Amino acid sequence: MKQIEFGLFNMSTNRKFLISTVLLFVLWIIVALIAIFTGTYSIGPFEAFEAFSNSDELSKTIFFKIRIPRVLMATIAGGTLAITGAALQALFRNPLASPFTLGISGGASLGALLALKSGLAVGFLGFSMVSISAFIFSLLTMLFVYSVSKVRGGVVATGRLLLAGVVANFLYSAVIMFIQFFSTFTESLQTMRWVMGSLDIVGFDTVWKTLIFVIPGCLILLSLTKDMNLFGLGDDVALSLGVNVKRMEKKIYFATSLAAGAVISVTGPIGFVGLIIPHILRMVLGVDNRIILPCSFLLGATFLTAADTVSRTIISPVEIPVGIITASIGGIFFLWLLIKTKKEIIV
Amino acid sequence: MATIINCSNLVFSYNETSVLRGINLSIVPGKMLGILGANGAGKSTLLKILCGVLKPKSGEALFKDKELSKMDRREIAKGIAYIPQDPMFAFPFTVNEVVLMGRAPYIGSFEFEREKDREIAKRAMETVGIIHLKDRLISEVSAGERQLASIARGLVQEPEIMILDEPATYLDVKHRTEIMNILRELKEERGLSIIAATHDIFSSLFYFDEIMILKDGSILAEGKSDEVINSEILSSAYGIQVTVKKENGRVFVFPNQ
Repeated sequence: MKQIEFGLFNMSTNRKFLISTVLLFVLWIIVALIAIFTGTYSIGPFEAFEAFSNSDELSKTIFFKIRIPRVLMATIAGGTLAITGAALQALFRNPLASPFTLGISGGASLGALLALKSGLAVGFLGFSMVSISAFIFSLLTMLFVYSVSKVRGGVVATGRLLLAGVVANFLYSAVIMFIQFFSTFTESLQTMRWVMGSLDIVGFDTVWKTLIFVIPGCLILLSLTKDMNLFGLGDDVALSLGVNVKRMEKKIYFATSLAAGAVISVTGPIGFVGLIIPHILRMVLGVDNRIILPCSFLLGATFLTAADTVSRTIISPVEIPVGIITASIGGIFFLWLLIKTKKEIIV
Repeated sequence: MATIINCSNLVFSYNETSVLRGINLSIVPGKMLGILGANGAGKSTLLKILCGVLKPKSGEALFKDKELSKMDRREIAKGIAYIPQDPMFAFPFTVNEVVLMGRAPYIGSFEFEREKDREIAKRAMETVGIIHLKDRLISEVSAGERQLASIARGLVQEPEIMILDEPATYLDVKHRTEIMNILRELKEERGLSIIAATHDIFSSLFYFDEIMILKDGSILAEGKSDEVINSEILSSAYGIQVTVKKENGRVFVFPNQ
């Protein structure tokens, strides 16, 4: 992998961390502000303030029940997909791993859909059963793909990895489409989410319910970034440098399933965020996971917020699913990556 | 003198295949021990047990009188550095970042290296002569330079013993000699103990204080190099008839066929 030569590249790690996270955070704030004031129903900052102080019910509802929760959901979803993508790439020691390519998003979507269909859409100790079902399906999918793709000596075979992910995704989408086939027209529209992905939510309730899973998941991943670096030197060297490799692997499985499962149970599969974002960052910032993971969250959040704003407005008032935007940008990027790394990837 | 590593009756097997059948070994500070033997004789497995990566099925492996399998991994990492035969670099870190990873046992989960750590890494890179490669990607430097980076990474762990698995196998004569000279310097100047597996009979004659020859998981011979490097032992170790000739303090080894 070639890095883009940039002033940031050879800076000491702690300064690079500080500068990049602050810059990306500011970028996210700018994009999020643009996003909440953009849409089919135009609400400027002034109107928003007016709506809040007076009682323009329509503006108030749109702004606080739809616009802000949606931007927050895009932030959480984009950030989570990108950070889990970066973590999975470290775990599989493979730049092509991500929740989407490993079949985890398909698994989580099916898990969520099955919970909804079987009437389990009730709370369990304050957690949504839909998220829990998505988490379980994510975890099982990951373990399957991992066991299939790991060959002798703990090395992950890229070909097997991608093949297992693709097969898992196809199987899951076959089941999802089967369920859809026997649904009524309105039900079918609802389940489209599990095929294409959407950030269309109402109210803050969903946001909080997702955060319960996402915050611990992301914190666990961030606590492992140093160990992920050492893991890149091979199991034996990581062990000899003090890493409890088995425990680290289990924690990454658990945390990525938890966070990505919860997000996908709400949004459905939104492709390629987890693949592109860490890649772009590595080209500019180098490969240190202590920098790549937090920055992936911030840039993923910014990217999905921007993509969602485009999907809401590009042919307004019609809204196209955000998955179409990310998949088309991501698909082109993925192809470019495949062509560029032609000589490096041994199947 | 106190021993750094002391093992008795080490036994190890992968599934049903017995790999080590009762190995005794000890090393004191400032000594260099070479381990010879055919492929599959158990060299790599033995080294992994000595650095705590593998646990023996039975027997005892002590680091400064403490049982390795009961020690905290980070504590082991501060005392023992392990350099594998063919180090993996899954991501293109810079040489400097790879070397700095040796400071991991001294740094907490949410921490970065401090100025002191960077200074230690810089000195290690100077010692092995790769400071000019500091900002290059590890994937772009040569195999020999990668091996030197691994040794520098081991040095910044500030260990008392360095365990290397065939450090020079993939290297040309120049790099091989360079690495062996560096190891000898480290031994003489810092009192570092070194255990290295090697296929290189010639360099083992010049550099190692002691030699151990393994065959099928057991010790075939051990002692000073001129005691164990002879036609009879080498022929048995490698399963091929070789002749060892000593002339004017020089040693020649060649296969009979």
